[in-house]
Amino acid sequence: MTRSWSRAGLGAAAIAGIFAAAGFVGGPAAAGSENVALAAKQDPVQRGRFLVITHDCGGCHGGVDPASKGWLAGVTDSGQIFKIGACNYVEPDLKPCFVTRPRNLTPDNTTGLGRYSERQIFNALRYGLKMEDTPDVTITSMTPGQGNFPLHPHYLAPPMPWTAWRHMPDGDLWAIAAYLHRALKPVVNKVADSEGPPDFWASVYTPDQIGIYPAPAFPTANERPPK
Amino acid sequence: MVRLMMETLCAWSVASAQAPAPPPQSDTLLAPPVLENQSAVPHVVEVTLVAAPARLALLPGKVTDVYAYNGRVPGPTLDVHEGDSVIVHFENRLPEATTIHWHGMHLAANMDGSPLYPIPPGARTDYVFKVGEGKAGTYWYHPHVDKRTGYQVAKGLYGALIVRAATSPLPAAIPEKLLILSDNRFGPDGSPDFPDPNSPAGQIDAENGREGPVMFVNGQLDPAVVIRSGEVQRWRIINASAARVYRLSVPGQLLLWVGSDGGLFEKPEAVPDVILANSERAELLVRGTGAPGSREALVTLPYDRYDTHTRPADWDQSHDLARLEYATTAPVTPVAIPEALRPVPAIDTTHVAATKVVVFTQGLINGKTMDMNRVDLRSRLGTTEIWEIDNLVGMDHPFHLHGFRFQILDRNGVPERVRRWKDTVNVPKHEVVRIVVRFDNFAGKWMFHCHILDHEDAGMMGVLETN
Repeated sequence: MTRSWSRAGLGAAAIAGIFAAAGFVGGPAAAGSENVALAAKQDPVQRGRFLVITHDCGGCHGGVDPASKGWLAGVTDSGQIFKIGACNYVEPDLKPCFVTRPRNLTPDNTTGLGRYSERQIFNALRYGLKMEDTPDVTITSMTPGQGNFPLHPHYLAPPMPWTAWRHMPDGDLWAIAAYLHRALKPVVNKVADSEGPPDFWASVYTPDQIGIYPAPAFPTANERPPK
Repeated sequence: MVRLMMETLCAWSVASAQAPAPPPQSDTLLAPPVLENQSAVPHVVEVTLVAAPARLALLPGKVTDVYAYNGRVPGPTLDVHEGDSVIVHFENRLPEATTIHWHGMHLAANMDGSPLYPIPPGARTDYVFKVGEGKAGTYWYHPHVDKRTGYQVAKGLYGALIVRAATSPLPAAIPEKLLILSDNRFGPDGSPDFPDPNSPAGQIDAENGREGPVMFVNGQLDPAVVIRSGEVQRWRIINASAARVYRLSVPGQLLLWVGSDGGLFEKPEAVPDVILANSERAELLVRGTGAPGSREALVTLPYDRYDTHTRPADWDQSHDLARLEYATTAPVTPVAIPEALRPVPAIDTTHVAATKVVVFTQGLINGKTMDMNRVDLRSRLGTTEIWEIDNLVGMDHPFHLHGFRFQILDRNGVPERVRRWKDTVNVPKHEVVRIVVRFDNFAGKWMFHCHILDHEDAGMMGVLETN
């Protein structure tokens, strides 16, 4: 399995949803985006809100803007569901095929993130570790079994783009956690569990497939110092 | 002694493996022997238990290196009455430390067999406790040593503990059977299979808990229970499996569910099946509704307790556990089953001293793994508390509290319909169970944990201190 799953598996409805959300954020919200960014400099919650909007969390997790119905409340519509693996919408029966359901990111205690700490949310964004399967501890290593990194990590199901977002600075990831945990109203919305292989995606998330963290120093062989 | 036992076990194992035999006229299900009381003093039960390696025929034609209590698997039954003082002279002849946890008993913390009180190899100790009034029920005993409970139970260390009241509300004409359910997985040589924890199979065991395809009742494969048409039998059932959850059914009849962990309910309840999670117990009245010479079976129906990532492919299969053979003799008139069994007084919830939240995530309690040097929760003796157990993950986790029995208040906010004494409650995936518990009598440190033994051993356990 290669990372092509995230494209091959995207349902037409989900793609349409993402494009719609992106268009909305880039359009009417654009005029105010400087103010949003300015406010975010002072307040981690506002910074987190800015990052959540600009990184299109709602595109999968629900809602088109913070005022919209179902904002970050997880799957409320089958169009938000992904099929990951060999299957696609032309050949839905190919195996393996796993159903991924974007979870409820609001701080409800049992159906959302309410019972998790901001550190667990941080660890999910930085390391891709499922909150419910990973201790609430500071992680100091990228090597399984070392520095509190689980020996057998359980990763978030694709297509959650943590592999790119982990490169955000610590403060930005903490700000996202703060916004989700403190500034959203809890919504009770039970989302069924995502499916996945018995290794909890460990074979997919290897450095040769997702790159290394932190990113290689500039300039690499593909890059050059600007003239 | 061991050799004799082995030959006996071989004999029935081979017999049970043979193809269609005429229906038996008496049980092939054997009850473990009852531990002999060495005391002549009234209301004192004094017994000896020795845990030692043994070689037994657990499977037909195979000899397995086991750990055994008094040379047999399951261990002998400790059969006592309410009000008895129990003295167990225990000797550990295993090559490793062990304990005996008297699952469900209300006793001093240092008698509880928790991992805080290991018995080193070669050592002896006396477990002493008094059985309280109102505690009649079906319990069990097993090791509870740090990180090795699953291994030692899989090697054969488990047995029943039955507490009887002076009088029973059930007619004496109802015969009683004990069924200890366990499962195991064996290698080709007959030894229990424990995969490398870092192998894919080992990781799946760590996730699901270790299940095996071989399902035993009292250490036997598919034994027969003989029932007469019209007869009513009382079955005491113990789930001694590390991880397998049973959904018990006798297809063709409704079961009369009359008791759970802490004994009888207030009245019988007719149910099609009973889900029995790890270390839970059930008391069932099985009624001989079939014709003479007919056959039924005790089966376990599919029950999806699993995370979707590691759910076994055959999870949706039913399995036979035991045969129910109807005697060819003439039917008997069924005995009348009383409508009222015994009072189960509700724990008073009007003066709750504290409400505690216990969050289960995968392998963790409140985000932590077990540390024997840490106290996670504190409770005051003489008070009542409500504990909310939140299971945030996509697999079931059975919650067990040592030392203090409890009642279930509600599940996901829905009040519990039947009041019963519990010491273990299954918390299904993504569900919330609230229990009410009264802390009395015994100060000390107590375990609370997931009773999937692989999870417990991996640290899905916390420490409660009462004072």
